[in-house]
Amino acid sequence: MSDRAPSTSHRLRVVAPVVGIIVFLSVWEAFVQWRDVRPFVLAAPSDILRYFGRAPGDFVAASLITTRHALVGFLVALVVALVVGSALVASPFAERATQPVLVLVQVAPFVAYISSIVVWLGAGDPPAYFTTALVCLPAFVFAAVSGMRSADPASRELFASVDASRWEVMWRLRLPSSMPSLFTTARYSIGLALIVAYLVEGSNFADEGLGAIGKRAAANNIGDALWATVFCMVVLGTLGLGLIALLERWLLHWHASQRTIS
Amino acid sequence: MSVGVELRGLSKSFGDLPVVASFDLDIAPGSFLSLVGPSGCGKSTLLRIIAGLEQPSTGTVTIGGASPAELRRTKRLAMVPQQPGLLPWRTVAENARLLLQVNRRHQPADHPDPVDLLAEVGLTDFLDAYPHELSGGMIQRVALVRGFALGAPLVMMDEPFAALDEITRSEMRDLLARLLERHPATVVFVTHSISEAAYLSDRVLVFSPRPATVAADVSVELARPRPADVEDTPAFLGVCTDLRHRLHGAMR
Repeated sequence: MSDRAPSTSHRLRVVAPVVGIIVFLSVWEAFVQWRDVRPFVLAAPSDILRYFGRAPGDFVAASLITTRHALVGFLVALVVALVVGSALVASPFAERATQPVLVLVQVAPFVAYISSIVVWLGAGDPPAYFTTALVCLPAFVFAAVSGMRSADPASRELFASVDASRWEVMWRLRLPSSMPSLFTTARYSIGLALIVAYLVEGSNFADEGLGAIGKRAAANNIGDALWATVFCMVVLGTLGLGLIALLERWLLHWHASQRTIS
Repeated sequence: MSVGVELRGLSKSFGDLPVVASFDLDIAPGSFLSLVGPSGCGKSTLLRIIAGLEQPSTGTVTIGGASPAELRRTKRLAMVPQQPGLLPWRTVAENARLLLQVNRRHQPADHPDPVDLLAEVGLTDFLDAYPHELSGGMIQRVALVRGFALGAPLVMMDEPFAALDEITRSEMRDLLARLLERHPATVVFVTHSISEAAYLSDRVLVFSPRPATVAADVSVELARPRPADVEDTPAFLGVCTDLRHRLHGAMR
């Protein structure tokens, strides 16, 4: 039994997802061919790849811009959330006062106010960074606060028993305690950040990034181009999730979520 | 090295609910005092008041002439809590060093080396292990070492072995006794176990149900060091029987 275990796990970890994707793409391709769907409604995977292959450099360059917009916004949101979160943990009043504002930001439809932000901050990177950070912020703050609060009471008392400073409690206890919930939120937010960056690029006058290509393709009814940007976004999102999973394995190796039960 | 503790007119209420009735107590330097009583009688609250983690409603606590806050500020008070509270992202060695790494301005002058202490409790092979890789008894040994690593003159222990099975529990009891022989300190120890109290203590306070009052103050006159088989001696059984009767008496 034991010598078969590695091949079983290999089959589960690598082969199964690849099979899933191949089956999905084949069904998609067959459906588009069979029903003769218009490319704008749904382009066939083969057409998407062909279009991408015509100017891969352009798509890669645009992807890098979108990645930069998403990543900067994502990281700014994370850092601001850690600072704001640690302040809110220290003051229940501030937490109560801030919570409704964060909920407002979280539920407000960012698609609707993107144009206003672009008009306000002008063309180029600033509106992309700002909107992405703003949209990702609330979930990160909630995760930071609840994670920091979850610090083991016995450990907190232990720190108090040697008169540890607030900073020491934050750095050595609360911050590591918040990592699991921050990672859970990061997995959700990385996709969100990419989507926000894409949409801001589409509303931007700077005309760069995948969002700008998508916008132009939509306006000119070029279905293959539009779907090629969707394809790039999917790849970026998958890479982002993979990166977070790697970081998680490295930084959260001590957490129950990272252990496999055999 | 060890310090005495003085409680004067100490009481504690939570709102209208009296938890600890007013009482005085002197704990001799270097002695081992156990607090025994029914569950929820306020023993842990009393321990936390002595450690300064909870304010008394009336009265004062003085430890070697200083306040509990002063002792905590200068890291001369060690806690071994019921929940071990090891940090899961730190290895055994890092957890044992934890209290030395915070509030560094008041590093105890001649504290024992945590790695030596870990060796004393038989954890040399587990220095780089993480808490999730340890058994309950090993985790509690790390918590013991973390407390003793401060070399503090006063050690406060709140039912540290309560969650362990009977066999591990008696092992831990012997281990604690041996640690104290090498690293003497004044100890205040909360427990539910009469035999644990009898084995470890110089003195046992038996508390009545809430509000806690001292129902009996018993000196344990068993010679030290106490071998593990002291438990089988008539003198030991006598102490246990006496404590049990007094505890039952207090609960009536």
